[in-house]
Amino acid sequence: MAPATLALEMIEISKSFPGVRALDGVSFDCARGEVHALCGENGAGKSTLIKILGGVYRPDAGRMRLDGREVAFSHPVAARRAGVSIIHQELSLLPERSVAENIYLGVEPTRFGALDRAKMRNGAAGLLRRLGSTIAPDIRAGDLSIAQQQIVEIAKALAVEARILVMDEPTAALDDVDASRLLELVRRLSGEGVSIIYVSHRMPEIQAVSHRVTVLKDGRSALTAAIGDAPVGRLVRAMVGRDLADFYPARAAAPAGPAVLNIRDASNSRLRGVNLALCAGEILGVAGLEGSGKRSLAQAIFGDEPFESGAIEILGERRAPPSPRAAIELGIGCLSDDRKREGLLLQQSVRDNAMLTQRAFANPLRPPNASPMSLDETDALLRKLDVRAASFDQEIRLLSGGNQQKAIIARWLARAPEILIFCEPTRGVDVATKAAIYKIMRDLAASGRAILMISSDLPEVIGVSDRILVMREGAIAGELPGGASEEDVMAIAVGHAAETPALVS
Amino acid sequence: MTLVLDQRRPASRALALARKVNVAVIVFLVLYLAIGLLQPTYFEPAGLMNFLRRAAPLAILSAGQLFVLASGGFDLSVGSLITLTVIGGSMLTANDPSRTWWAIAALYGVGLAVGLINGAVVAFLKTPSIIATLGTLLSVNGAAMMWSGGAPRGYLPDNFRMFGRLVLHDVPIVKIFPIAIAVLAVCGALAYWGFHGAVFGRRILAVGDNPRAAELSGVRVRSVRIGVFVISALAAVTAGIMLGGFGGVSVDVGLGLELQSIAACVVGGVQLMGGRGSVTGAIAGALTLFALFTLLTLLGLPQPLKETAQGLILIAAVALGAWRRRRAV
Amino acid sequence: MSATHLQSSPFTVRRGSLAPVLLLAGSVVLYVGAALWTGETKMLDAEGVVGLLQRMVALGVVALGQTFVILAGSIDLSVANMISVAAVLASYIMQGRPDMVPPAVAAVLAISALVGLVNGALIARLQVNSLIATLGVGLILQGLLSASFTNFAGSVPPEFQLVAYSAFGGVPYSVAGLFALAALCAWLLRATRFGAHLYAVGGNAEGARLAGIRTDLILIGAHVICAVSAGLTGLYLASRLRSGAPWVGRDGVYDLESIAVVVIGGTLLAGGRGGVAGTLAGVLLFATLDAVFNMLGVSAYPQLVLRGAIVVLAVAAYTFRAKGHVA
Repeated sequence: MAPATLALEMIEISKSFPGVRALDGVSFDCARGEVHALCGENGAGKSTLIKILGGVYRPDAGRMRLDGREVAFSHPVAARRAGVSIIHQELSLLPERSVAENIYLGVEPTRFGALDRAKMRNGAAGLLRRLGSTIAPDIRAGDLSIAQQQIVEIAKALAVEARILVMDEPTAALDDVDASRLLELVRRLSGEGVSIIYVSHRMPEIQAVSHRVTVLKDGRSALTAAIGDAPVGRLVRAMVGRDLADFYPARAAAPAGPAVLNIRDASNSRLRGVNLALCAGEILGVAGLEGSGKRSLAQAIFGDEPFESGAIEILGERRAPPSPRAAIELGIGCLSDDRKREGLLLQQSVRDNAMLTQRAFANPLRPPNASPMSLDETDALLRKLDVRAASFDQEIRLLSGGNQQKAIIARWLARAPEILIFCEPTRGVDVATKAAIYKIMRDLAASGRAILMISSDLPEVIGVSDRILVMREGAIAGELPGGASEEDVMAIAVGHAAETPALVS
Repeated sequence: MTLVLDQRRPASRALALARKVNVAVIVFLVLYLAIGLLQPTYFEPAGLMNFLRRAAPLAILSAGQLFVLASGGFDLSVGSLITLTVIGGSMLTANDPSRTWWAIAALYGVGLAVGLINGAVVAFLKTPSIIATLGTLLSVNGAAMMWSGGAPRGYLPDNFRMFGRLVLHDVPIVKIFPIAIAVLAVCGALAYWGFHGAVFGRRILAVGDNPRAAELSGVRVRSVRIGVFVISALAAVTAGIMLGGFGGVSVDVGLGLELQSIAACVVGGVQLMGGRGSVTGAIAGALTLFALFTLLTLLGLPQPLKETAQGLILIAAVALGAWRRRRAV
Repeated sequence: MSATHLQSSPFTVRRGSLAPVLLLAGSVVLYVGAALWTGETKMLDAEGVVGLLQRMVALGVVALGQTFVILAGSIDLSVANMISVAAVLASYIMQGRPDMVPPAVAAVLAISALVGLVNGALIARLQVNSLIATLGVGLILQGLLSASFTNFAGSVPPEFQLVAYSAFGGVPYSVAGLFALAALCAWLLRATRFGAHLYAVGGNAEGARLAGIRTDLILIGAHVICAVSAGLTGLYLASRLRSGAPWVGRDGVYDLESIAVVVIGGTLLAGGRGGVAGTLAGVLLFATLDAVFNMLGVSAYPQLVLRGAIVVLAVAAYTFRAKGHVA
């Protein structure tokens, strides 16, 4: 590509933080209308690079050019004015404001000093039409699905005529149908000449949508290649330095044990007629689109949003736990899908985080580091799970996502629950830790625990589970064996296949 | 790379932690030195003992407030509860020393009730504690006025006043030893044990840090919330009983003490909105604040400027904390 | 995309938007009911109703300002002290002289704007928690005021008393002023960029910042508006009381009550949702309660007890159904 057509050039960018060299001479460019994927493990430097592009950080060394012109952003606003828009992983919409107000936030058209609401409404409708969406501009943003909010975010970027659009894991919270719609949109925008920097962990997406791909590793550029020259194997090797073959652990050799969880015809406001049996020693995967009820299933079993009817038998007891505390007492553990909001005590130490559940059930007047879980036992467990921290006294917010996740797994293992629910166990976790978490899950199953894994990551469900339940519209729509094809899972998830009744043992 | 990052942080964090605890203590020592230079009697054991005696109620109140602050709430009702305690003590005893003990028991009962109401309103009605306890402040003040008919006066019986006023003489080394210091020591030790030495304290920090995560891990969040408000209310009754020994009965004994206790905690490095704090910090903060007031009085500044100084120190302490946190990121 | 999400929203009435109507209806029922019950039917004629509206003015003006601050996700606990400062300053400068009215008003407005600026700067620039910042500023103001004045200071000339005691065609100036101010506030919130950005800052400050909004300026602006509204309430009180004393703000519990009426009016305490109509309705409810207490002959101290309970219960009516945790 000739340099003249490059919309963005970042040349030899370096950035250090106290004690760490986050970026070391990274060069990155993007042509007009190109989709350039950016991947790498957590901590590889992706977010630092994006933040420099977005004007959040200033580089220590290196230069940036937009359309051949040298630029230096002092503030996010400067980057936005220059045509760089970043869609962050955590969406920034105002739930109480209308779609139109959100789209024009900060660039509201005015007439005689007052907001020109008609212009905002029409403009928003136009932008959304351009994105192939029929979302009404007057709806509260909070009433939209996550996929729709994602589209409003894109419209928001277009409202300021973004020429360079950075999408940070845009499909992380989307199911496959919405994700593929989003990819379609990415292609459409690129066809209109918008340059897109696409950050993702999901290899199939990168393969499907991008023209080129750059892999960062340890703050350096490990690979930049046209997508045709970069098959998944090569990308993974560049990211982690090893092959994908040993990514998913081998399935259980022994047949599953007796059922420890039996649910018959159970319902609540979000679930209807759920039948399922979970056996000791197996990993039962639950797949489904967003809103299919797979998260509600976990919440119902764990007593967070309990079942209101049906027969539930858990570890021999015939009752549905009315609260998480009751569920834990019965012998259930649940790893939440929203680590930051529902899992971490950000300002407490790694140890305090790992001991939380034990302390919730201990005598409140006993010393905090005594039985049933002593300091030494906790440390041993954390070490066994390979939680990497300079010290377990360190505040957990300073750890990487993967290490945080492992510390929270330790929290549950400390109580040795018979049933463990893993919701999106590897969301926001780097590839190496992913493999480690899969191994932990498999080891737990091998030791006789029953594991229910709720996941939106299809390759994960297929690669890890012994059996797969597929949910649709609050009910279990079908069951497939582990290793089934993605097509089969999707067919049931969207309702194209004949319904296969769930098998109940 | 993550490891490199992780290794550096704790050292500087430990240092920051040491600094944070020390700030309140150091500021206190500096202020006390200044007080002593202005009024040398403060350097004598008796002077120090007297200072601690007068600071004890605020220190106890702050130790109680710490529990609520660390859980993420505020207790603004403690000042009015102190007033109610003193007025109630006067009404219940009616100058009859033989009624003192059951009057004190009854006052703790009232404190328990107020704490339970505060906690229940926050935990079950989910009203933000700042509103809930401001409402309690109004109601409890109103109740104190109603009870006393609006203009209480006189003094409590002597055995009631003992906790604030009684001083043992001819004690070795310190010469005099006020009972109030013993009460402070007992309360401080209890608070230290409850906050740092028992599982309960960790549950408070967990709830203050992330109540949803605590709940999903099995912590009874509501019980913790109710517990901290009860602790704070009982601390307020204790402080009220001591203050009743200091002077006469009036409607403004507890005026402004809720803010002073919060200010003391903030000065002592307790984090508002929960998740971080220490008993040492809360008590050191209270002593610092009290030393500041003493110093201002010695300098001959008008009494109302106490409030101004308190406002300045509050803002300065929080601004400093915010500045440090920003620099640490 | 999917049609299911489009259907729900136009038909679901949100609790917040319904609040003003419910409060208005509740106040009317309460007021009329109490008047009929006690036989004080003269409270129902024009004069009685105007009297009720006049009870709204002091709290109403400061609550309008508090609405801005709370919408922005902040809070102002210094308003009661600001009101005292304004009342004392006004009557002290006026000293009963009509020619000193303009300088006194100008001084009050300037100082209150300055206080708002300090509040806003502490919160937005130095990132001091808003509760603490405004509490601290309130203490500073009160300390300085009480150190300088111990009793009623100066007096306002009869001309200035017209603000509180005069009417045009049966409508007191003060009531007309309150509603004019409310209309201005509603326009600012509904129809200007400042208003849109204020909701954005309260709803998602980080998102607003990333959208290029100067969140610090918006926050400072909201605090200036609030402090100035407190200054106006102080001026009104000076006019009504004919002089200012350093306790008028605290005695009126304007800090707590202004926050309470805003929240009761359906504005989220966390910011980002709500408006002027709800606040006015909340103020009306409080004025009604005052009037009803008087009609029923409830004496001062029990009134205090009931007020505390009512504030909490009224706020709880919004909060108790909330999912999630509150501290």
